[in-house]
Amino acid sequence: MTLPRIASFAAQAAMVCIVLVMLTPVFYMIAMSLRTAAEIVEQPLGLPDRLYFGNYVNALSQMAYLRSVVNSIGITLAVTVLVAFLGSMAAYPLARRTNRFTRLVIMLVALGLATPPFVTITPIYVIFRNLGLLDSYLGIILAFTALNLPLAVFFYTSFIGAIPKELEEAARLDNCNDWQIYWYIIRPLLGPATATLSLFVTLMVWNDFTYPLLLLTSPEKFTVMISVYRFLGNLNVQPDQLFPAAVLGSLPLLVLFVIFQRRIVAGVTAGAVK
Amino acid sequence: MHRNLRIYWLTAPALLVIACFFIYPILLSLQMSFTDFRGVGEAEYVGWKNYDRFLSRSRYANAIWVTLKFTVIVVVVQTLLGLLFAALLHRMPAIRNFCRAVLFTPAMMSFVVVGYVWQFIYSPFSGGLNALLAAVGLDSLARGWLGDPDTALYAIAFTHVWMFVGYTTAIFLVGFANIPQEIEEAGRLDGAKSWQRFWYLERPLLAGSFTVNIILSTIGTLKTFELPFIMTRGGPDRATNTLSLEIVNNLFGAYRFGFASALSIVMLIMVVLVALVQNGYLRRREENT
Repeated sequence: MTLPRIASFAAQAAMVCIVLVMLTPVFYMIAMSLRTAAEIVEQPLGLPDRLYFGNYVNALSQMAYLRSVVNSIGITLAVTVLVAFLGSMAAYPLARRTNRFTRLVIMLVALGLATPPFVTITPIYVIFRNLGLLDSYLGIILAFTALNLPLAVFFYTSFIGAIPKELEEAARLDNCNDWQIYWYIIRPLLGPATATLSLFVTLMVWNDFTYPLLLLTSPEKFTVMISVYRFLGNLNVQPDQLFPAAVLGSLPLLVLFVIFQRRIVAGVTAGAVK
Repeated sequence: MHRNLRIYWLTAPALLVIACFFIYPILLSLQMSFTDFRGVGEAEYVGWKNYDRFLSRSRYANAIWVTLKFTVIVVVVQTLLGLLFAALLHRMPAIRNFCRAVLFTPAMMSFVVVGYVWQFIYSPFSGGLNALLAAVGLDSLARGWLGDPDTALYAIAFTHVWMFVGYTTAIFLVGFANIPQEIEEAGRLDGAKSWQRFWYLERPLLAGSFTVNIILSTIGTLKTFELPFIMTRGGPDRATNTLSLEIVNNLFGAYRFGFASALSIVMLIMVVLVALVQNGYLRRREENT
């Protein structure tokens, strides 16, 4: 090996090491979850001597974990379908026409995109209470749909804008109306955009905390994060409860990430750059 | 003409959702902010009282200050660190994808989990950071990182950067990939060193990535709630008491819906102001390069 080659190899090895150091907290979380509370207090940095699963047994029996996983999956699916349908339908005219009305709509969508949830949380709580939507699946699904919809409209508008118009023109000559063109011609082409969008929805439904914390109160409706939070509480969090709950809370998305990492990184980044 | 307008019916459902969940709530918030509504019962009109309260107590000015300080720290550190990682990984194609995925991993975890895990890492009682410092002989630096008003906000900011620096890196890497090969080639043929190519060729061409990264991380941090909520509850001595934390506490701790609404309106104004200033500056910067 020549000198520059060796230097380049060393630099890359150093980079890999630095990047892996960034993962230490994740390894730390997993390692600690497999040790007893006494072991953690005695040796805060030790590795597990043996694989002790007692913490997981306790956490699983007290957390209603599986139920919350099922809730999160169900809410994710419902929100994805709603957001994809409403968003793509709204985006079709926005992508094809430019006039005062479409500009106004795009401005309103941008407003929705920029509004932090804390600005609307108080009135939404009051509205939901008056409509009896507090602590209901329908309420949380509507709230998440509204939070994701502005992004979806933007996303589909730029995606549909790139679809050639020839197909539609042929259909229009065959006397198809706008709805038929959207449903039979545009919608089937949206697969890749919907895949990326579903990623955003999944990340939000699994990881968002504020909305479900304020809108859901009965344990059998909790999403995963609320179930983790209600299990651990705020004061005197015990390590033998904290770490297994943290692992269980992040496990589903981490597994998905290991499998689809390339597509997830590309999708989330593309969504941001668009 | 009539036929042409029908297409807009397709936007109606989405518009309805936006009207119900963004426009109406903002108007309702504005209305409630002039009342003493406490969640139940009649709301009485109180004029500017809630806004007077906001302006007259240092506690709320402090919440704004904490929020802005946190945002500046996170945005600056995360952007520079992400840029550094991206510039290095751009030159290391063999390990680029692997490192990008590793850096991105924390962004897959939720604020709740990250908050709990880092709370324990920073803990003075058998926490990982102090144990690590002791192991390398730096015991003198050990402290209750979240219990000390001088370090708590920085500790939370560090955690936030840890979570999202991979996101920033990935966006910068897209920017690097979009730089035309010929430009890099020309630089290399002219004998420009690696850092010279970065500073004189690549950096100006990344203006678009800077804009996206800075706007995204600013929007994300101005509303910071979960990390301080889990890690410190706004303490010690309100050193980490952000505006969003104040809103939620007024809402569900004290049931001051009217005042919480006034704080929401303040937050909306703050976000809009920051976005306008930033957008104007960053777009102009893009055009100049």
